[in-house]
Amino acid sequence: MRRNDKRPTHINKSNGEGKGKPYYARLYRRFVWTTLTCSLAPLLLVGWGIYAHYSAFARDKMLNSFRTQVDNHRKMIELFLKEHRSRLQLIAETQSVDFLQRQRNLENAFRIINQGEDSFTDLGVIDENGRHLAYVGPYHLIDKNYSQAFWFKTVMDKGIYISDMFLGFRKVPHFIIAVSRPEGNHKWILRGTINTEAFRSLVEKVRIGRTGEVFLLNEQGIFQTSPRFSGHIMEKAAFPVKNAHAGIQVHDLKAGNEDTEHRFPRQILARVWLEEPRWMLVVKQDYAEAFEEMNHANIITLIFIHLSALILLFATLLSTRYMVNVIKKRDQEADHLNRQLLQTGKMASVGELSAGVAHEINNPLAIILTERQILLDSVAQTPSLDREFKDQLLASLSQIDTQVHRCKHLTQNLLRFSRRTKSVVEPVSINPFLEEVVELMEREAGANGIRFLTELEENLPSILSDPSQLQQLFLNLITNAIDAHDGKPYGRVRIHTRARNDSGVEAVIADAGCGIRPEHLDKIFDPFFTTKSVGKGTGLGLSICYAIVRRLGGTIEVESEPGTGTTFTLFFPFKPPQDLEGRLREPENDTGGIPDERIDHTVGG
Amino acid sequence: MRGSTILLVDDEKVFTSNMSKLLTSRGYRVSAVNDGDSAIRALQENSYDVVVLDLKMPGMDGITTLKEVKKLGLFTETLILTGHGSIDTALDALKLGAYDYLTKPCEIDDLVEKIEGAWKKKDREEQRDMQQKIQKVVESPSAAFTLFGRKKDKKKA
Repeated sequence: MRRNDKRPTHINKSNGEGKGKPYYARLYRRFVWTTLTCSLAPLLLVGWGIYAHYSAFARDKMLNSFRTQVDNHRKMIELFLKEHRSRLQLIAETQSVDFLQRQRNLENAFRIINQGEDSFTDLGVIDENGRHLAYVGPYHLIDKNYSQAFWFKTVMDKGIYISDMFLGFRKVPHFIIAVSRPEGNHKWILRGTINTEAFRSLVEKVRIGRTGEVFLLNEQGIFQTSPRFSGHIMEKAAFPVKNAHAGIQVHDLKAGNEDTEHRFPRQILARVWLEEPRWMLVVKQDYAEAFEEMNHANIITLIFIHLSALILLFATLLSTRYMVNVIKKRDQEADHLNRQLLQTGKMASVGELSAGVAHEINNPLAIILTERQILLDSVAQTPSLDREFKDQLLASLSQIDTQVHRCKHLTQNLLRFSRRTKSVVEPVSINPFLEEVVELMEREAGANGIRFLTELEENLPSILSDPSQLQQLFLNLITNAIDAHDGKPYGRVRIHTRARNDSGVEAVIADAGCGIRPEHLDKIFDPFFTTKSVGKGTGLGLSICYAIVRRLGGTIEVESEPGTGTTFTLFFPFKPPQDLEGRLREPENDTGGIPDERIDHTVGG
Repeated sequence: MRGSTILLVDDEKVFTSNMSKLLTSRGYRVSAVNDGDSAIRALQENSYDVVVLDLKMPGMDGITTLKEVKKLGLFTETLILTGHGSIDTALDALKLGAYDYLTKPCEIDDLVEKIEGAWKKKDREEQRDMQQKIQKVVESPSAAFTLFGRKKDKKKA
């Protein structure tokens, strides 16, 4: 066989023609997309839906809670102011100016209204002209005159007044609560200064975390308490106070909002006006901190959702890959079986045809031979023939004989290929058997410069088989291996045997010849397929091998790399198929009288 | 042996005619028929030493013909000459008592050799049969009636 291709090939490669890699890649992608769409999409939809719903719900809840907290705080501040105003009112209503302007009495009153809390810094009694009648406190204010002070005028006018923060004579930010009381024809004023520090800590006594701040602004936008970050007491705040309506307003300030001065993170802000004085309570907190718990819960939810999606994705990829591989394997097996079936079917029909054709050719051949013999006899009986004519005639008759025998050889090979004969089954030890065949072929191989390398496994178990068919098989394969080196000055044929599991015996015949072209691999077992030149091969050798191996219940596989060589791997089971065995036993029982040579003679022809 | 009588049975007329010529020129007395029925008739009318029988014939095939021939109980050996692929059939023929078989195409010398073998066997059997009959005549002179009878008469006896 002429073999000169580069690609290594194997006849049993069954990648499913038409079902190559792209087909399985497409199948894989389709499975993955379908599975992912059916699993990931609902998971993510539900997950994100729950996440969005829960977030909105939790945000509302948080804002409400914030609002309530701020409102309560407002009430607390108002209560504080109302209570301290009431304390002053109570003292003023129950005591006379004469009593209170005595230093000791005022000190007592101061102690009583403070109730040990130091919520008042000082207490003073002032007459209707603005002069201090008595004073208890840390500052030296007894000689001060307040007749021009705004608060003095207001309290004289309204009877009660809570001032904004101001510096006053003491030059320290503070605010005062003053009540005026008419006594006889005169009025006097009881004035208390609220402890700024105590008031500040009261105002800030609301949970605002690390980033929050709380402060009070008056109607002009002046800080009434020191905010944590936004400025200082008595300074003008960069904060609009125009919305002076009642109720709590809660704002969600986006990052960088103009309402914020230097701060950029997103914030929530609540503001509410106190009743008296007209101060605005402002509570601010970074959104991130206010919603920290919610965000944390949200992040965990999202992590779980996406982790599940990721697991699903990997599970899908893995399971799909596994599934596609299983399908691929099944396809390959089916393909392999189909090819085998096809080959078997082809062989069977070719076998039938061969037997018929051989018979039909044998009869005319027999007639040709008899005609030739008649001519030969005639020549022998006619001595007067022209010598030249006689020589020519004898040469032609000899050629007829040669060609008839060539045809006979062909028909016998055909019959051997299709034979349904009864042969002998007996235990065959493959190793000595192969050694015999090698010995038989060594002369021919040596002439072609080919060496045999045998690696025969020791203690190889015997198989039950038909020796004559095995001999035919090995002779054909080894002849082929030798022929494969045609054109090479030297070569080698490696013959290797080994036991395969517990099922049978494997024999490998590998040559270093010219290899088989990939496009020829599928055809080499077909009858009459040959790449040898005309007259050199009938194309039946490997077909007969195939038929024999199948009959003996074995397998034959071929691997070939053009230019490098061809390897035939044969497998024979320890026992041949039941039907073969049954058929093989028959002649032993029934035709005991027939000598073996007769069978050999006919079969081997 | 020269002078042996041979019956050729083959549906190929050219073949039988050629083979007749060849065998005749080799000293045999040859008759040729082209189907099984004619063969049986020929055997009933004349005696032949060797029958050369084709297996695949239209009408009565070789195997059936062989069975019929055997039924006749003659001292005749049958040689199978077939172009048929099935060696099983040839083996069946051997089981039915054919002497041997050859596959077509075959050399005339091979055929002659087989014919000679068949003739010798036939001759041996005839001799043995004769001796047995003589023995019987010696033991019981009344048996002399069957001396020249046929095999089947012997079986009846």
